Amino acid sequence: MKSDVVSPEGFRCDGRRPNELRRFNCDMGTASGGYAGSGADGAAYVEQGNTRCLVLVFGPKEPSMRSAVLHDRATLSVEFNIASFSSGERKTKLRKDKRLLEMASIIKSTFESVILMSSFPRSEITIQIQILQFDGGSLHTAVNATTLALMNAGIPMEDYVVACSAGFGNGHPILDVNYTEEGMDVPVISLGITPRSGKVILLNLESRLHLDEFEKVVTLARDGCTQMHEILDTAVRSSAEALAR
Amino acid sequence: MAIVTPGERLGLNGEFIASHGTVEIGDHIYAAVVGTVTTTPSESDGERLIIQVVPKSKRNMAASIPEVSSIVTGKVLRVNPRMATLSIMVVGETPCADNFQGVIRVQDVRATERDKVQIYNSFRPGDIVRAEVISLGDSRSYYLSTAKNELGVILATSPAGATMIPISWEEMVCPKTKVVENRKCAKPVDA
Amino acid sequence: MLQSRSHVRKTRKGSVIKVVRELYLREDIGCGVGVCADAVCASGVRTMQALPANANKRHAMPHIIVPDTNMFLHQMDLLEHKAFSDVVVLQTALDEVRHRSTQMYARLRAITADVDKRFYVFSNEFMRDTFVKRVKDESPNDRNDRAIREACRWYAKHLPSGISVVLISDDADNRRKATADGMFAYSVREYVEGLTAFPELVDMIAVNDDADDAAAKKISYPDHLTPSQITAGLKSGAFCQGTLGISFHNFLEGSIYTKVDGEDTSVKIIGRTHLNRGVHGDVVAVRILPKSEWLRQGDNVVLDAEEDDETLEKVDPNSLLDASAAAVPVPEQDDEMQTEETEQRAAKSGDWVRTGCIVGIIQRKWRPFCGTIEAPKDVSSDSGSSSQQKFVFFWPMDKRIPKIKIRTRQAKQLAGQRIMVAIDSWGKQSLYPMGHFVKALGNVGDRKTETDVILLEHDVRFMPFSKQVMSYLPDEGEAWVVKEEHLAGRMDFRHLDVCSIDPPGCTDIDDALHARLLPNGNYEVGVHIADVSHFVKPGNAMDQEAATRGTTVYLVDRRIDMLPSLLGTNLCSLRSNVERLSFSCIWEVTPDADIIDVKYSKSVIRSRASLTYDAAQARLDDPTLTDPVSTGIKLLNSIAKKLRAKRMANGALVLASPEVRFSLDNDAQDPLDVELKEMKDTNALVEEFMLLANIYVAKKIYSVFPDSSMLRRHPKPSATNFESLIKAAAEYGIEIDPSNNRTLSDSLDKAVLADEPYFNKLIRIMTTRCMMQAVYFCSGTLAPEDFWHYGLATDIYTHFTSPIRRYADLVVHRLLAACIGYDKTYSSDLVDKVKASELSDVLNFRHRNAQQASRSSVELFTNLFFKNKVIQEEGFVIRVMKNGFSVIIPRFGIEGIVHSQAAGPKGSTDNAQLLTHDAVANTLTCPTTGAQIRIFGKVIVRVSVEEAGQEAAQRSKLVVKLIEPRVPGLSVDPVEVQKVKVDVVPAVVDIPGVGKVKTNVGETNRVTAEMGVVSGDAVETKAGSTGGKGAGKKKGGKK
Repeated sequence: MKSDVVSPEGFRCDGRRPNELRRFNCDMGTASGGYAGSGADGAAYVEQGNTRCLVLVFGPKEPSMRSAVLHDRATLSVEFNIASFSSGERKTKLRKDKRLLEMASIIKSTFESVILMSSFPRSEITIQIQILQFDGGSLHTAVNATTLALMNAGIPMEDYVVACSAGFGNGHPILDVNYTEEGMDVPVISLGITPRSGKVILLNLESRLHLDEFEKVVTLARDGCTQMHEILDTAVRSSAEALAR
Repeated sequence: MAIVTPGERLGLNGEFIASHGTVEIGDHIYAAVVGTVTTTPSESDGERLIIQVVPKSKRNMAASIPEVSSIVTGKVLRVNPRMATLSIMVVGETPCADNFQGVIRVQDVRATERDKVQIYNSFRPGDIVRAEVISLGDSRSYYLSTAKNELGVILATSPAGATMIPISWEEMVCPKTKVVENRKCAKPVDA
Repeated sequence: MLQSRSHVRKTRKGSVIKVVRELYLREDIGCGVGVCADAVCASGVRTMQALPANANKRHAMPHIIVPDTNMFLHQMDLLEHKAFSDVVVLQTALDEVRHRSTQMYARLRAITADVDKRFYVFSNEFMRDTFVKRVKDESPNDRNDRAIREACRWYAKHLPSGISVVLISDDADNRRKATADGMFAYSVREYVEGLTAFPELVDMIAVNDDADDAAAKKISYPDHLTPSQITAGLKSGAFCQGTLGISFHNFLEGSIYTKVDGEDTSVKIIGRTHLNRGVHGDVVAVRILPKSEWLRQGDNVVLDAEEDDETLEKVDPNSLLDASAAAVPVPEQDDEMQTEETEQRAAKSGDWVRTGCIVGIIQRKWRPFCGTIEAPKDVSSDSGSSSQQKFVFFWPMDKRIPKIKIRTRQAKQLAGQRIMVAIDSWGKQSLYPMGHFVKALGNVGDRKTETDVILLEHDVRFMPFSKQVMSYLPDEGEAWVVKEEHLAGRMDFRHLDVCSIDPPGCTDIDDALHARLLPNGNYEVGVHIADVSHFVKPGNAMDQEAATRGTTVYLVDRRIDMLPSLLGTNLCSLRSNVERLSFSCIWEVTPDADIIDVKYSKSVIRSRASLTYDAAQARLDDPTLTDPVSTGIKLLNSIAKKLRAKRMANGALVLASPEVRFSLDNDAQDPLDVELKEMKDTNALVEEFMLLANIYVAKKIYSVFPDSSMLRRHPKPSATNFESLIKAAAEYGIEIDPSNNRTLSDSLDKAVLADEPYFNKLIRIMTTRCMMQAVYFCSGTLAPEDFWHYGLATDIYTHFTSPIRRYADLVVHRLLAACIGYDKTYSSDLVDKVKASELSDVLNFRHRNAQQASRSSVELFTNLFFKNKVIQEEGFVIRVMKNGFSVIIPRFGIEGIVHSQAAGPKGSTDNAQLLTHDAVANTLTCPTTGAQIRIFGKVIVRVSVEEAGQEAAQRSKLVVKLIEPRVPGLSVDPVEVQKVKVDVVPAVVDIPGVGKVKTNVGETNRVTAEMGVVSGDAVETKAGSTGGKGAGKKKGGKK
């Protein structure tokens, strides 16, 4: 028998209530000096529950492909990778895997609207995303990590981009969907907003969700984003202060 | 000094002029990078202050991109009868974050007898050259020129491995083997 | 705080994965006890109260109960009893129950939802204080037990003093550890014995060990293999798996259908030892015996005093080689006749029948059974216990289930009653399974009790609708009317002259028709179906209950509705002179009945008249009536006739069954008389348009939802089905050609005997039995060629026209609403192929059960009707076997078996054969007089009812004895004709709860349409019944 996403007692399979986020932890490039050696200008590492994501940012620099240069703004290139050891079964994903290319393109269009691209004409900013451990919610974790990495690299942005996922199961909207729940046929919405203006930059839904429930789920995701923003902001400030010392 | 994060509102358009690290959206000025806020009076506009956010990282972005008529230093990558290709490493005094490509065309090597220039007698791969940016060039590289006295090869290594010493504006000698080679040398700058 | 749970598991491909999950432990879970003052508990759910001190003599203090997992798994009947309340259901136990038994889990959840029971689910796995981590080398079971004890300990500390916590567990070790920790622990028996206020509970304790069954020590079944051994064996091919089916005639003979060496075949399992405690319906693992052991001669199954009178043939292996009446086996052996034929066919294909033995049970499919107890004999020695419980044997009504041993104190009271018993276990030392008493139903033979038994045995849900379900009815209730807001998105057909034609007394009208002439000379024909999907939204409790019921069940005196009657008989029903919501199909048709255009839309109609078949027929026949409704009916009739002609030309079959109707006495609801019915023009009219609608809707939904449409198909029967029929008809010079349905239909039309008018009908009845079942299926699971509906000769078909009484129609309504864009935000279940396929399996199951329940009900009433009568009637032979023949009696539409063996002493196999059987010619001949019995031959028989012996679970039987042709030793004397007065039937009958019903000779009764004669879905009739009585429409074809 299929287990409930939300038990009648109001708990999910990992003991959270429907509106609770998973444990969050993050680290910005400077503390782990190793990243600097790889030539990255900015790096960030984010853990959300058991999903772990590492993002490296290179740039602005000389475009690798001369043909892709734009004369008035920078070009953004995003690479999305899922490590073969990241999930239960070892699976090597090809670079050109359609799913990965799609995720990369989502992130690219998300950040292109937030980074001040016109500050760096004719140059290229590269974002490399690695999912080291996968337990659901890789898209929104990657977005959060990318935000941190870009800030670490000093690339000017209009605002943070915070993202969170929410789903709908057993009549309840649930926040921060993990891998087990994704497997229970829960439709998942990934929402990315710029907190200060409240604008929605990223909205991703790949399964079917009834219109009546849509609003509830998006509102919950928004709340989640607001909570995330506070956490991210605190982390950014403390790492900047650490730099100052 | 309080740290600001991107998206934080710094002030009104009427009071400040947006500078490095800030962005102007609508009527307000917001921070665009993580850093500390500094305000300086502006020379041109008496009323408004220049506001910028200084990032904590050491890198100063603005100066490290070649502009027209800036002096750059780079290493010769390859030569062919029509041009020499350089990898630009330093712009002015500051090293570049990433190496840009520059090209010295045969007619830009020197000011006189431009059509009789032999690239092979002016530059060799591996030479360090000081040049001036004359154009942002095409999509591939900047156009450089060494057609001035103080521009040209500043460092070259002989086949024997020693650093060659310039003896004239078009010759250098290896101290070890006493062999003379042709280069377009830069006039040493008196420190 | 955060814990991490990890375990390793194997995937289907065989690779090993490590699964790591987070576990967030919390501190904000309340204990659920009302009087607890703790802040966290006060803010949470609080349902439990402490059981008072005097509730249990064993534990004379206020307390709450904590059962362990096994108590939930085995003693659910006890827990459902009202004596048990204020129980803590620990999450540990709940999860384990969910994994081990879906049924028990569903029941447990139902109890927790019941406010009065006060069962509180405590999530101890998420609570920091009660979380228990598995230590090294600790088995999962031990860890769970430890978690349960830990939770008890927490409760004991947490609760205000004065309330104690009681752990109930049958595991002595667990109890010992608990008591050592200072907690209270009792076994089930100890605790229940203390509930002196409810003495009957002691009987209901499920027994798990049969150690005290001294008598059967000499029997020892082989051990069952462990699950891992079974899986290994299945993988390596040493074993095969299948569902065990036990023969009706002999409960020591079973078989499974499985794949052996890649081909589907049946494997026989004969004898107690080989059956190894498998029960009918269990999924078992079977080892095929070596060839030398197949069809052992000595394996004559001795039925030791359990011989069934209905046995047509003693099933000894040799008889399997008898080559009569072979038929293609139906995987579910639910029809008596076919079971036997199955065996014969299996034998026919070769001389050897695979035999096997059960090595292990993969899944038990035990359910509570109805039956009676054997009068207490000295079966068991146990009579000395203080509760004075005795061991008695329980005989289930279902002949395929073995006797069950139960303990009860009420042996004397239960002697003449029907009771329900559930099986608990079958240890290898015990000859019979052990079970426990669940409840008593009533006296044997009492009509109401027997009807309840029929419903229970066929797994029909008949409890009244729960409050939750009723809460989804519209708030206005009876006062609901169509309002302006309903018109949005609907066509307004209130101006159309719509009428409905139904059996008399019909209250759930689900369809209405109209027809009119268009200016361009064509006709507009409309079929309007009750818009049930407007009221029943997907996913809510009412929808789920309807899906589980699957269909309305029609018994002779009762009707078990699929939907609450407010909807079925009022708000959805297309009554006359009131506005109703409907779903319409409008066709534009040429005068030659060619369809030009079709439109589907949701609509509002106002029926002008609800006519009976007779009233509509009267209007049809009367040329003077020119009002719109009558004109419409005449138009419809002419079009219907042409449509029918086209269908027949295409090869649609017109089948038949001997349909009868019971007229019931007012008060007692006992049957007064039994009559046949006929089909009129108006019946055919309605039928044609219903078919048309069903076909067109099927096409439409398939075009939009090719993967997940709910369709209906009728597989073509194989030629072997028809063999005996062809042979028998040939004797009379009639040729039956079953190569395709057109040839079959033509040959049926020609099959007429000048001197015997009933002959054609008889042939059609026999043909019906050769058919396969029509079934629902999900369109994504089969290739389009397989959508074919043989009986109707159409490429694609579905059920659309009766959503009030069939769930499949409701699903089709939802699909069609999505197709026409009315419902833009449709539920994702509609496109889920897997769910649709599972749903169609459930609906097929329910449909079959409903039919069988109907049949059983008719059988019951037949027996009641003939109870004190002896009738002499004319009949036709429809089947000839070695030791008897089947006769159909057209007047009453009933069928009986005449045995040709003189009834010798019970158990003897040496019965004199009074008629010799000629297997080739398929006749029985009397050696002395030369009188011959052959198929389609006319006979005169005497019909009476006999109470069967106890061994057959006290079911009364119809006994048919031969009068003519005279066979010495077999024929009985003619009866003084006790003419059953047909005109005794009152003109108007008042049925309680329904209203006055006009009784009419010649009307049809839907229920009796399936009276034991038709196999499968032979005849589909329209719901018309008012509680089963009254008439139902008959559609002659197979649907």
